[in-house]
Amino acid sequence: MDTHETPIITAKGLELWYGSAKALKNVDIDIPEKKVTALIGPSGCGKSTFLKTLDRMNDLVPGVTIKGSVRYRGQEIYSPEVDVTWLRKQIGMVFQKPNPFPMSIYDNIAYGPRTHGIRNKAKLDEIVERSLRGAAIWDEVKDRLKKSALGLSGGQQQRICIARALAVEPDVLLMDEATSALDPISTSKIEELIEDLKKSYTIVIVTHNMQQATRISDKCAFFLLGELIEYGDTEQMFSVPRDRRTEDYITGRFG
Amino acid sequence: MRKTFDAELLELNEELTAMARTAQDAIDVVTESLSSDDEAAAKAAIEMTSSMDQMERDIENRCLQLLLRQQPVARDLRAISAAMKMVTDLQRIGDQAANIAEISLLLSRQGGVKVPQDIGVMSCKAGLMVKQAISAYTGRDVETAHAVVNLDDEVDDLFNQVKRELIEEVAENKDEADSSIDFIIIAKYLERIADHAVNIAQWAIFCVTGEL
Repeated sequence: MDTHETPIITAKGLELWYGSAKALKNVDIDIPEKKVTALIGPSGCGKSTFLKTLDRMNDLVPGVTIKGSVRYRGQEIYSPEVDVTWLRKQIGMVFQKPNPFPMSIYDNIAYGPRTHGIRNKAKLDEIVERSLRGAAIWDEVKDRLKKSALGLSGGQQQRICIARALAVEPDVLLMDEATSALDPISTSKIEELIEDLKKSYTIVIVTHNMQQATRISDKCAFFLLGELIEYGDTEQMFSVPRDRRTEDYITGRFG
Repeated sequence: MRKTFDAELLELNEELTAMARTAQDAIDVVTESLSSDDEAAAKAAIEMTSSMDQMERDIENRCLQLLLRQQPVARDLRAISAAMKMVTDLQRIGDQAANIAEISLLLSRQGGVKVPQDIGVMSCKAGLMVKQAISAYTGRDVETAHAVVNLDDEVDDLFNQVKRELIEEVAENKDEADSSIDFIIIAKYLERIADHAVNIAQWAIFCVTGEL
């Protein structure tokens, strides 16, 4: 890792099993602060599994065993004293399919802050506006905040989900193929948004879209069969990859 | 999907090889025209180089299509971007050969002008460099590319030697000064052709190593 990049998340010797199937093998990685890191690799390579270890989403999967270390700002996130709710407030997640709650736009955004104990109406109004602006959707929805979020288009719904993640003022945003279900215009809006968000947040994305990885990420990690094969600056990886397997994957020569 | 792409990359190689062969042939023919006062050969060389204009456009077109359709990365991106740069060098080589042919036409009308021997040697080496540089690219062969870069010193030395000899000739025989100066210009064109071959060789190296 370059000296000017401060790691915010560091995984060391990370291993994960689903039952007896090993899904992550000895993963070492430093994720830099306020950069976009893209995780790429074929289906089943472990990239989404790795992403989910960062906010302990795998805890919910029965039969999972995790070994090794994941530190977030120096804090071992798998240590027993870590409050998972606190962790998930710090490290938010946006999923592949937009999943707004079946409630109003306003309530979608206010949901997280309310969970964390904020009841003051003026304060909530402020958070809702700031989050929707942050997700570049305020102008489109400001006159219909009381309407159901389910009435929005897919691209708008996904930005609502990003706004919902921003509402609890996270430190890191994880995105699991957050644009793969969207049309090119919505995709480009979200990509621009990511570019903007990285000024304030650290972003880790999983993507199957190589062009997207080259467009928006600073660092890129290539996973294969649970192994982190190559990790480095995106530009370098897509122009002169170091590992033959990376080259074969990104140029479509696999299989 | 990859099958079509690979086939197109092979076709790109073939087009570049054909263009390099035309360049090398034009250099041979134009050199031949110098020593034999052969006006028809000089005209043929001009004809050959003008066909290179179309080849350049076709190759550029193919590269743009590949960039657009395949959105290449890694070695594919290097191969296609190198091809786009190299084709310009090939085109310049054609221009230099055409310039030599124009001078050859003038010289052949004067008749009986003696061609400095080293010009023939320069032309052989420059032509060979062009051919090897392209084959270094198509074969992804760094060693051959380095050999081309090294050959350039020999061509530079020859140029300096030819220049020295011709300066002496001008001093000794002012009546022949006109043709001596023409030969210096021809030698300079050949030296430039070798430089373009070096550029091509360096793109061939980039294509393999990614180092600019």
